[in-house]
Amino acid sequence: MPHTLTELVAGAVPIVVEETRGYWEGTLAKELRVQTCNACDNRQMPWGPCCTRCLSQDLGYVKASGRGRVFSFTVVRQAIHPTFSAQVPYVIADIELEEGPIMTSNVTDVPVEEVRIGLPVAVWFDIEQEDAFHIKLRLPKFRPIKG
Amino acid sequence: MTISGKTAIAGLGVTAFGKLPGRSAWSLQTEAVAKAIADAGLEKGDVDGLLTAPPLSEPLLLHAEQLGGKLGLKTNYLSQKFIGGATAVALIAEAAMAVEAGLCEVAVCVYGENAKTGMPMLFGRAQMGRGQGPSDDIAYGLAGGPIMEARAAKRYMNEYGVTEEMLGAVAVSFREHASRNPAATYRDSLTIEQYLSNRYVSEPLRVLDCTIGASDGAVALIVTSAERARDLAKPPAVIAGFGVAANLQGLSDPDHYTSYPGARSAQTAYRIAGLEPEDVDVAQFYDCFTSTVLITIEDYGFCKRGEAGPFAAEGNLKLGGALPSNTSGGMLSEANLVGWNVLAEGVRQIRGESTSQVDDAEVGIVAGQGGFHAAHSTLLLTKDGR
Repeated sequence: MPHTLTELVAGAVPIVVEETRGYWEGTLAKELRVQTCNACDNRQMPWGPCCTRCLSQDLGYVKASGRGRVFSFTVVRQAIHPTFSAQVPYVIADIELEEGPIMTSNVTDVPVEEVRIGLPVAVWFDIEQEDAFHIKLRLPKFRPIKG
Repeated sequence: MTISGKTAIAGLGVTAFGKLPGRSAWSLQTEAVAKAIADAGLEKGDVDGLLTAPPLSEPLLLHAEQLGGKLGLKTNYLSQKFIGGATAVALIAEAAMAVEAGLCEVAVCVYGENAKTGMPMLFGRAQMGRGQGPSDDIAYGLAGGPIMEARAAKRYMNEYGVTEEMLGAVAVSFREHASRNPAATYRDSLTIEQYLSNRYVSEPLRVLDCTIGASDGAVALIVTSAERARDLAKPPAVIAGFGVAANLQGLSDPDHYTSYPGARSAQTAYRIAGLEPEDVDVAQFYDCFTSTVLITIEDYGFCKRGEAGPFAAEGNLKLGGALPSNTSGGMLSEANLVGWNVLAEGVRQIRGESTSQVDDAEVGIVAGQGGFHAAHSTLLLTKDGR
């Protein structure tokens, strides 16, 4: 258990909360799950407590293909959070999934100079980690689709 | 019936900005309030409304109550607001509505911070990683304003062919204004060549594209009826119109990369004021980033989509240009008072008190933007009798 607020907020592992439990469970099965609304068929990322279109709380998910395109990105040259100082430069990108929603992640396995808007990418799942409450998860990240 | 022209900013209190060792946020806030009251030619007993924004470094839940206590006030209206950098202008709008509705007669709006030398912005920085929604973006190394803004900037530049030189023109123009402002933190001249050799923080944004990290300082403003303001010590900056709009879908919304909710808050402000972009003589943009300024210029209707970059590169944001902007140096070069210093400069221009004074400035526009461009506020100020 984290002991202080600072410890809780400074850690760089996500904290699994009630409305994102299903999302993170999916990552352990190496599934990228897009939240769906059973009332109006809306698809949304990130997961939330209700549908951002109709406010229904009757929510489910679809397993995404894992493919998408870079909608926008930045090459981070100066890490603002100390956890990432050793990793610069790295890419933060907004990925437009085939299913429609845009999600934020990293683009890896490519020289940062080669990342561009429109680049086709596919999801991969990083190593298993534990959040502050010992719930296991894997971070979904993206890399260019070869060929 | 319209609220336009019914209220005015009648007093302005500004402390020193920058690094102020030994000064608490409270001492800066109370100094700014005392100066604003004196500037208006009022007495403390005249103040019957208090509206505050809590400091980012110490976001107290009962800040307005605590500050009111330290000031020894009894008020007929009390409020505390925090919608990031949109707060300053939004609090002026709220004060105008409170005065016009008869809730209070003389309202003071105040913000003060000692984030530079006092309590570091630990809480604020920690919140930049959390609080961006349940996606826990910090796990991806996403923490802080530049990384949020850079993705919008990248998409905007890609869509309209905006170059880094065009971003740089914003920084260079505002630095030129700062060089004439003794209160500014950065006053050394800046060339486009120096800009282009500056290092990146988060591409395409360089250090010089980003607001000053943190400043100590405080700003307070007095809002009262335009009628009462006419009898006070300083020329009134008449509140002609305002708007506060938001897009809370963040970068999940594909439209949110190249246009901000300022497009709607400006429309509201123009409608209330009965003014058009062509009427504006001087602008104070919320310049947290150079790219934010370019997008806001378009959102406000000063240029068509994609034309703000060339407009800035032609020197139009400088004193003497078509739209002199951020005439104190803004948050890029003067200080980072989260938009409050930008608002103060908006008042100075209408009074004729700027160190980069626009001749015959009769209509000024001021922007606020907060929560990583989620919320945007717009204020139109006019010279009395215009």
